[in-house]
Amino acid sequence: MKIGTYMIWAAVAIGTGLLVLLGYFIELQVLLGLRLLLLQWAVLLAAAALLVGLFNLLSVHWSKVSLQEVGWPYSAILILFFLVTLVLGLIFGPDYEVVRLLFNYVQLPVEASLTALLAVALTLAGFRLVSRRRDLVSVIFLGSALLVLIGTGPWPVASDSFIAQGFGDLRAWISQVWAAGGARGVLLGVALGAVTTGLRILLAADRPYGD
Amino acid sequence: MTVEGLVGITLLVVFVILILLFAGLRDRWPVVLRPIESFRLLGQRIERAVEAGQRVHLSLGTGSVIGSDSAPALAGLAVLGKVARETSMSDRPVVVTAGDGAMTLLAQDTLRAAYNEAGAKDRYRATSGRLLAPTPFSYIAGLPVLLASEDVSVHMLIGSFGAEGALGADFGERNRIFVLAGTDDVQSQALLFATADHPLIGEEVFASGAYLNVGHLHRSSIRAQDVVRLLVVVAILIGTLLRTLGVGL
Repeated sequence: MKIGTYMIWAAVAIGTGLLVLLGYFIELQVLLGLRLLLLQWAVLLAAAALLVGLFNLLSVHWSKVSLQEVGWPYSAILILFFLVTLVLGLIFGPDYEVVRLLFNYVQLPVEASLTALLAVALTLAGFRLVSRRRDLVSVIFLGSALLVLIGTGPWPVASDSFIAQGFGDLRAWISQVWAAGGARGVLLGVALGAVTTGLRILLAADRPYGD
Repeated sequence: MTVEGLVGITLLVVFVILILLFAGLRDRWPVVLRPIESFRLLGQRIERAVEAGQRVHLSLGTGSVIGSDSAPALAGLAVLGKVARETSMSDRPVVVTAGDGAMTLLAQDTLRAAYNEAGAKDRYRATSGRLLAPTPFSYIAGLPVLLASEDVSVHMLIGSFGAEGALGADFGERNRIFVLAGTDDVQSQALLFATADHPLIGEEVFASGAYLNVGHLHRSSIRAQDVVRLLVVVAILIGTLLRTLGVGL
């Protein structure tokens, strides 16, 4: 029974994957239509999955509050705001003033603060890198980052001097020749890796849909 | 069919044939992988976490299943199955988080299948696969509490991340735990190189299954990937040479 079930899921996944894939390569109206239909189904299923995911989020935090686990007050706040936003959104719609207010004055500032924190975290990580991984690659990484920073940012004085111009040219050489070349090589590897991952799923070697 | 379509489909067929061919030859011509210290240490740290009753956390990132950025998270799911089997007998089994509802469901299915396979069906909890938050930065904002409250000692980020992934790795480093991080985005890889102790560069994130011995098709696909890469590089070089000589294609 178990083998039968697994084979059905695998056959459905392989068949659907092949139909969508062929729709990209072969210009047949039937295949194109099928591909679009399957993708529309996928979008609908993803939306339904988001609802299931939100229920999962709620149940995880509800359990934390009930058991008073470490950090339960954060979970309680999350549940409170989750329910308030959900109820307001469902009753009055996403354009309701209070919902927009919550988004503009809570969600956006918090996310903007995290973006700002990223700059600080990266600077500290740069310093940490020197003490943690003292190898040639790290030295080249940091050296290039510093040269690009010096060559990009405006200087407090003598921004139009020949030294600043020289750093600007050096930055262009590093980013347009070395970095762009390296990035293309990495991209080629990433693209092949992504294709391999997809093919392993089409061959049912990887079955993220379970058994 | 267009020429591009024909080339694409031929390349994919060649790819599949090579994967199956190398899988068939695995005993006579075993795949030798370049040693990557991060993967060797990962195995040790997972064992240590199981012994110490600490948690392994796997982040599948903020990409969606239906987006073009799903591939690294799918590679992460392959790793999840292996890690779940290894930690199934621990007091604190692996916890996996995602920023997408469908990816969360796939993670739960992978966990369920892994526990079934390990003969520990009763240890499966649906809450081990979690939707942390549905937007990239809210997802990252939820990580510090999770790392602290779940007593995480191994923090893996294998999925699709933007710049926010650097913060995700940094939170782990601040907790002084083992951080292994990889993604498909080139710029994010540069950020992870600075913030994570064990960054995965280039396609290493997709090779994680092969390094963790998830299955022999993972290893054979690495060899097939190398062959196809060689073909693509030769094609690029021939194209460059022909263009330099003024021959149009």
